[in-house]
Amino acid sequence: MTAIRIDDVARAYGPVVAVAGVSLDIVAGELFTLLGPSGCGKTTLLRMVAGFSKLDRGRILFGDRRIDTVPPHRRNAGMVFQNYAIFPNMTVGGNVAYGLKARHVPGAEMKARIARALELVRLGGFGERWPHQLSGGQLQRVALARCLVVEPDVLLLDEPLSNLDAQLRVEMRAEIRALQQKLRITTIYVTHDQEEALAISDRVAVMRGGRVQQLGTPANIYRRPASAFVAAFLGTTNLLSGPVVARTSAGAVVLADGQRFTVTADGIAEGARVSFSLRPEAIHLSASGEALPPGWAALEARVARIEFLGAITRIEFSYADGALLRVAVLGLPPGLAEGATARLVYDPAQTTVFPAP
Amino acid sequence: MTSGRARPLFPIGVAVVAFAFLGLFMLYPLWNVFRASILDSAGETFTLANYAKVLSTAFYRAGIFNSLLIGILTTLATIAIGVPLAFCVARMPVPGKPLLLALAALPLVLPSFVGAYAWVLLLGRQGILSQALATVGVPGVSIYGIGGLVLVFTLHTFPYVMLPALAAFKAVDVSIEEAGQNLGASRLRTFQRVTLPVVMPAVLAGGLLVFMETLENFGVPFVLAEDMPILAVQAYKLFVGEAGANPALAGVLGVLLVGCTTVALLLQRFYLARRRFATAARTAPPTLAASRWLRWAAGGYAWGVVLVSLVPFFAIVAVSFMRFKGPVMHLEPSLDNFLNLFSRSQRPLANTIMLATAAAAGAAILGVPIGYVLTRFRSGAAHILDVLAMVPFAVAGTVLGIGLVISFNSGWLVLTGGWLILVLAYLVRKLPFNVRASAAILHQIDPSLEEASINLGVSPLRTFFGLTVPLMAGGIIGGTVLTWVTIASELSSTVVLYSGPWTTLTVVMFQALEGTSAGAASAAATVLILVTIVPLAFVYRLLKRHDVALV
Ligand SMILES: Nc1ncnc2c1ncn2[C@@H]1O[C@H](COP(=O)(O)OP(=O)(O)OP(=O)(O)O)[C@@H](O)[C@H]1O
Ligand SMILES: [Mg+2]
Repeated sequence: MTAIRIDDVARAYGPVVAVAGVSLDIVAGELFTLLGPSGCGKTTLLRMVAGFSKLDRGRILFGDRRIDTVPPHRRNAGMVFQNYAIFPNMTVGGNVAYGLKARHVPGAEMKARIARALELVRLGGFGERWPHQLSGGQLQRVALARCLVVEPDVLLLDEPLSNLDAQLRVEMRAEIRALQQKLRITTIYVTHDQEEALAISDRVAVMRGGRVQQLGTPANIYRRPASAFVAAFLGTTNLLSGPVVARTSAGAVVLADGQRFTVTADGIAEGARVSFSLRPEAIHLSASGEALPPGWAALEARVARIEFLGAITRIEFSYADGALLRVAVLGLPPGLAEGATARLVYDPAQTTVFPAP
Repeated sequence: MTSGRARPLFPIGVAVVAFAFLGLFMLYPLWNVFRASILDSAGETFTLANYAKVLSTAFYRAGIFNSLLIGILTTLATIAIGVPLAFCVARMPVPGKPLLLALAALPLVLPSFVGAYAWVLLLGRQGILSQALATVGVPGVSIYGIGGLVLVFTLHTFPYVMLPALAAFKAVDVSIEEAGQNLGASRLRTFQRVTLPVVMPAVLAGGLLVFMETLENFGVPFVLAEDMPILAVQAYKLFVGEAGANPALAGVLGVLLVGCTTVALLLQRFYLARRRFATAARTAPPTLAASRWLRWAAGGYAWGVVLVSLVPFFAIVAVSFMRFKGPVMHLEPSLDNFLNLFSRSQRPLANTIMLATAAAAGAAILGVPIGYVLTRFRSGAAHILDVLAMVPFAVAGTVLGIGLVISFNSGWLVLTGGWLILVLAYLVRKLPFNVRASAAILHQIDPSLEEASINLGVSPLRTFFGLTVPLMAGGIIGGTVLTWVTIASELSSTVVLYSGPWTTLTVVMFQALEGTSAGAASAAATVLILVTIVPLAFVYRLLKRHDVALV
């Protein structure tokens, strides 16, 4: 178990700043995810840790050992590549043996370790197969086995599932998580898929433009996004903005698109402009006469579009000036048709307020 | 693949070795040619008199004019023939496409002067065809002169245009083409807007290769130009000196020749660099629906061009198995020509094999690391290498040969009269091809494979030899055989550099041309053709799999 310390590292490619001063303390044994849109510098940062990308400034440490000055083949950081990078001229066993040979592991021990590694990724008995005989998911597992068999200090995964189909992705991510838990190996996982990040990580760093925007546990960054960008990037949300027109006991009242919304208000002055996020699943449908829980707010809206997705239904409501509000409800609410009006209710405590952009 | 903050030593090391090698055996000889051209006859004081003399002599001016004219006409002719041919292969239903494609690249590797000589056998003064034509009342058809030169050059070099054009036609994004037509654009406009911008740079790049090859080719004009002055031949004659050697004037012609080809090379590089921005279609465009008439026309045209370009080679092989009495051929099968050829000496065949093997191996040893650095590093060293390794393209074999003789016939390093000077000349000349072939092979090997190996604890150097080289092996073998084959039929620098014991097959052929023994010449030609085709047939699959192309 090795902690990873990334200390103010930066890297520019000519005028393009790929990583603009990132500092992270990754705890020994955790699965840490770098999440962000395309081009935000995730891969560059990961490759800095592996030693394939130069640092313009800053330091990287594994435990107490400074490694950014160590050549990549001496870092003992196991990396799984997006395209698996399985050597096509070697069998599965040959691929797994590759790193052991470089470490001069004696023959008998090598055999045992290869077998164990293949068992670990549920590919026992696949040693004699050739890479071209394997499916994408199996290649992915070979890549993992090849990497884990050398017992690296840390595990680096760059979008390891992006070449797989949707169902296999869900299966493999659970497997990777289980494996990581079993081995307790410090892992940096790169992805641009927020669901994947939320599903498997101990902690997530959301990146944008080469910087870390927010750092926290999945629940934390989902519920308490620090910026409109993070809120929007982590799943669908309603991002609204407007001036604070009143203050009530439940919070502040914001006038957005001609509609008054109540939001949690810690120290927002009247007249200030704010943005806030209201998650679709935080909004509920309510019969018009029904009593509201204390503090909740309500608004009238008209159904603009219904999208039935099986387990949940996404509904777009138009309100006031015709602006749209996204709502997600479980199942299919009865008697709801396009054009119908409905009462929407929400708990202001579920909103997240940001300083106006 | 940079490691930490350490400077990558590998590319710098390769650049240093390449620079030392090319500096000594290419730039230094070229410098000496240039020096000879600007010094007086004593070789001491600076003068422009040599240039003045060349430019004021009608005979030399005519040589420059003829060379450029033939170059331009050939370029235009190859485009006129090659582009429709590429279109037929890419988009029309032509029967036997795989075979057609395999044969279509062949004219480039078959020795051009053998082709020229074959045309003489067919359409020369005593040619088989010209005599047949004369008997049916069409006298005076002749392969000699500008028309014949352009014809032979065109049939030799059209693949330079056809192959890139074919790749470009296949890279045209049909969805854009279709979108254009959906929006109501006429077929012609769609072609102008969508197809042409993709194909044009490829065609121009190929055309410039044709121009360079035509300008520097020595063998074809030697056979077909007769008394008409041609730069490459004049430079050779002035240097070898039937009436006393004149390195100064030979130097002037050499400088002019290299100047022209360098301009063409720079233009070519410019277009090649831009070509990367062409659209990359994911699927090859579909074959067009064509009427039966059009199908026949396309098939007939494509096969017609390819067969006509190969016919002379078939013809000369057939002729070599006939009995000759002096220059007169009798329709009587016989092995006499070969017996005569080999009874004189088996040295030339052995020499050719030995020299080509040494040079091809050398080109691979030098070319593969250079190609590796070019594809995998983006440092300053890589850029310098990129330019340096392409320069030999622009250097006519004759001029390089002259430079090597001037540079290494006395002083601290004497190479003239030995075999090494031939190997070095071949090595320099074929290096660009080898570098580009290696780069093409490497482009197909994902860099993350090497990174995975390093990540598993294998140093970059051991990764290169233990993983990259084995992955490249098939392609390297294919590329090296291709190099071997073109070296075996190299004439232009050989003819300047060979010495008695190091006579090659091409020299035997060359000497036979100067004499009148058509039998021996055709036998030598047949051996050369076999030496070219047989190895290629063995590695054809390797070449295709690893995407090693001549152009
Ligand atoms: N070798 C390079 N040369 C020049 N620019 C580069 C290079 N590698 C990355 N960049 C640039 O640096 C920025 C960050 O790239 P990086 O690959 O780290 O992004 P990423 O977050 O991994 O994106 P993706 O999700 O698309 O993989 C991008 O703008 C990219 O264009
Ligand atoms: Mg990436």
